[in-house]
Amino acid sequence: MPLLEIRALKKSYATGEVALKGVDLSVSAQEIVAILGLSGSGKSTLLRCVNRLVEPDSGSVTLDGLEITALNKRQLRRARQSMGMIFQEFNLVDRLTVLENVLSGTLGSVSLWRAFSRAFPRENLDRALGLCERVGILDHIKKRADQLSGGQRQRVGIARALMQNPKILLVDEPTSSLDPKIGAEVMELMLEVAHETHVAMLFSVHDVRLATEYSNRIVGLQGGSKIFDERTETVKPEAIDLIYGMNKRAARG
Amino acid sequence: MGDGITAVRQAYLHDRRVGRFVKFAALLSLFAFGFWSIDVLQIPIDRVLGMFGRVGNMVWQRLLPPDLVYATSASVIYAVLETIEMSLLGSFIGTLITLPLAWFAAWNLTPDRVFLYPMARLIIVVSRSLPSLMAAMLLVAVFGFGPFAGMLALVVGTIGFAGKLMAEQAETINMGPVDAVRATGAGKLKVFIYGIFPQLKPSWYGIVIYNWDARLRSSTILGFVGAGGIGLHLRERISVLEYHGAMGIIVIIIVLVVASEAMSHFLRKRYY
Amino acid sequence: MSRVIVAAEGNPLRDRGTLLKRYAFYAVVLCAVTAMGVHLIVFGTDWGRMGTFADVFGIIMNLAPSLAFMPKIIGPLLQTLLMAFWGTLLAVLLSIPVFYLAASNITPYMMLTYPLGRGLIVVSRSTHEIIFALIYVAALGLGPLPGILALASRSVGFMAKTTAEAIENIDRGPIEAIEATGAGPIKRFLFGVVPQVLPVFIGNAIFQLDINIRRAAILGMVGAGGIGLYFAEQMKIYEYGNASACVLGVVLLVIIGEFVSNRVRTKLISG
Ligand SMILES: Nc1ncnc2c1ncn2[C@@H]1O[C@H](COP(=O)(O)OP(=O)(O)O)[C@@H](O)[C@H]1O
Ligand SMILES: [Mg+2]
Repeated sequence: MPLLEIRALKKSYATGEVALKGVDLSVSAQEIVAILGLSGSGKSTLLRCVNRLVEPDSGSVTLDGLEITALNKRQLRRARQSMGMIFQEFNLVDRLTVLENVLSGTLGSVSLWRAFSRAFPRENLDRALGLCERVGILDHIKKRADQLSGGQRQRVGIARALMQNPKILLVDEPTSSLDPKIGAEVMELMLEVAHETHVAMLFSVHDVRLATEYSNRIVGLQGGSKIFDERTETVKPEAIDLIYGMNKRAARG
Repeated sequence: MGDGITAVRQAYLHDRRVGRFVKFAALLSLFAFGFWSIDVLQIPIDRVLGMFGRVGNMVWQRLLPPDLVYATSASVIYAVLETIEMSLLGSFIGTLITLPLAWFAAWNLTPDRVFLYPMARLIIVVSRSLPSLMAAMLLVAVFGFGPFAGMLALVVGTIGFAGKLMAEQAETINMGPVDAVRATGAGKLKVFIYGIFPQLKPSWYGIVIYNWDARLRSSTILGFVGAGGIGLHLRERISVLEYHGAMGIIVIIIVLVVASEAMSHFLRKRYY
Repeated sequence: MSRVIVAAEGNPLRDRGTLLKRYAFYAVVLCAVTAMGVHLIVFGTDWGRMGTFADVFGIIMNLAPSLAFMPKIIGPLLQTLLMAFWGTLLAVLLSIPVFYLAASNITPYMMLTYPLGRGLIVVSRSTHEIIFALIYVAALGLGPLPGILALASRSVGFMAKTTAEAIENIDRGPIEAIEATGAGPIKRFLFGVVPQVLPVFIGNAIFQLDINIRRAAILGMVGAGGIGLYFAEQMKIYEYGNASACVLGVVLLVIIGEFVSNRVRTKLISG
């Protein structure tokens, strides 16, 4: 049984925009899956529907056999702890320190009092420091998050997501706000830590090269529908042309 | 766990302990300060405990509902008009006095930095720090009861309020056009009128309107010390324990203030 | 630049309609000012009480602050300062539930709690501190306690309004990230909202403290504690020199307060 199983997922926004038209997708344990699509194809929506930052209209999402769409608010908060999310714009809390940002990954499990007084348990602290070292930001933990460069900020984002001890990482265009070299570094790092911690990863990109280079499997998304889903080695250029080629034609016409 | 981590961890834990201690000490000091304040202010603790009931009772039983019949009677309406009139005239005269003062009090424009600048600054700062109600009471002592004293208090308020803002705006202007006019050999007043004032007009208009709004607020209470306007009625209602009438006046004042704020907002939007 | 030159030379081509309108406007203003002046000054002044020019001059002479009275006002000035401090602190605490209701993006029931929060803000902001003081004095008796409550009631609206606006303009991204960790609404508020809004909040609290010194100074005039009481008493017994000593004390206190508050706030913004 796959770790994450998405079935017939549909979502339209209040504006009438139909973002997902019934998508099926599955991710096995420790698998790295890329969602490839143009901007506006529904990648962010799909990822956000998994942890219900966006509420899907219909369909099913199961993680480790647990039906996410059926959970109430409290159960959902528990379930979210096993899904780490990494964002295109990093989404750090600028005025908190780097370490506080990393520690905020455990907010789901610490008590309200500890959250209020920012007195995180020692074992969380040790783990946070270990992760900071792993992603290479140990020297900056006292700095405010907005004092870091983009690449460093995304490293903080990675550490924060791993702080949750997730089963899967949901990653939304992690390198689109970075320049290509830094983006590649971040991508490498993310892959390494995913392997080390045996975490599966579902990441979205609009760049074919990133998808083919870093994934086990590629899922092509277009206009809210899945148009292919193949192992990365066997993905044919035609499949990719389907996404980008059609766009060229549309742009010309 | 590497050496790097151990050092960082120690440093962090140390900082955290210090931080907690500082927070704790600050909280403790605040409490001590609180007890000391209660002592200095002679606040009766028993009254603090019973105060919710008494204030609640005051509001729900004695103030509410407002006596709107009284609040719309001829004498109240007349007082409202008088209040508006005071605020308009006080703002107008105050603005006329403020115009040269703000010019003198702007460091980049002032015609004389040795005498006029510090004098203008002093007048503005003192007017700003002088509470209108105190000014009004002093002016009543000099000129007798009535809206004239109140109007003068509003003139003082305008000098303090608009003077500071106008001078601040003046210090941000672009000196290019000013120098251009100066180069034609124009005198200081002409430089002000042709080089400086046109640049400041929009922001100063905004300040004038904003000031009027603020003066209207303070004019509603000047009647307390006999300086004209609606405040006199409020004081009189309270002194005869007619709280529903008093609440009626309060409602009228709120309506007046909200309306003036909306109007000032609207006018400023148009000018900016 | 071009505007300046046009103004400097005068514009002969300006069309007559606008000029006419402009003069009409001046005429209306002039008439209105004259009418109000006559009404307020000629009819609104108690000429009998005012007496002769010499009388007025005599009173003005009496207004010179009596320095001998200055030491006596130190205690009341301290009281005024303490009232301002505790009134502001109380306003800061009370503003928390109010901005929670009045920020459109976090208010729990838009149709019900949002208008409630906004209504409280309007009442707080448009009611003069003297009016609050009168109500509290009537309910609780004389003294600084009603004064503190009056200051808190007056400031809470400003604090809640500015904070609610800051919350409405908040960056949603970090909050979503915190939500994605499985944090509930309170933790989301503590980690996502508070850090973004706190600097603005503290800056405004210091600003209110500064203003509340000014406000606290007059509350005594209606019996709500502080220097205003001494001022009013001295006025009632015609000790104008002592009364203006009180005013001088207030002016100095306010100037110092404003200076300190500006210093602290610039430091807060830059640091
Ligand atoms: N919050 C939203 N409200 C309304 N429409 C949205 C919202 N977010 C995304 N959409 C629309 O949904 C579609 C898919 O968007 P998105 O999931 O962000 O795509 P991608 O991440 O692939 O760029 C787009 O047409 C977009 O305009
Ligand atoms: Mg996207």
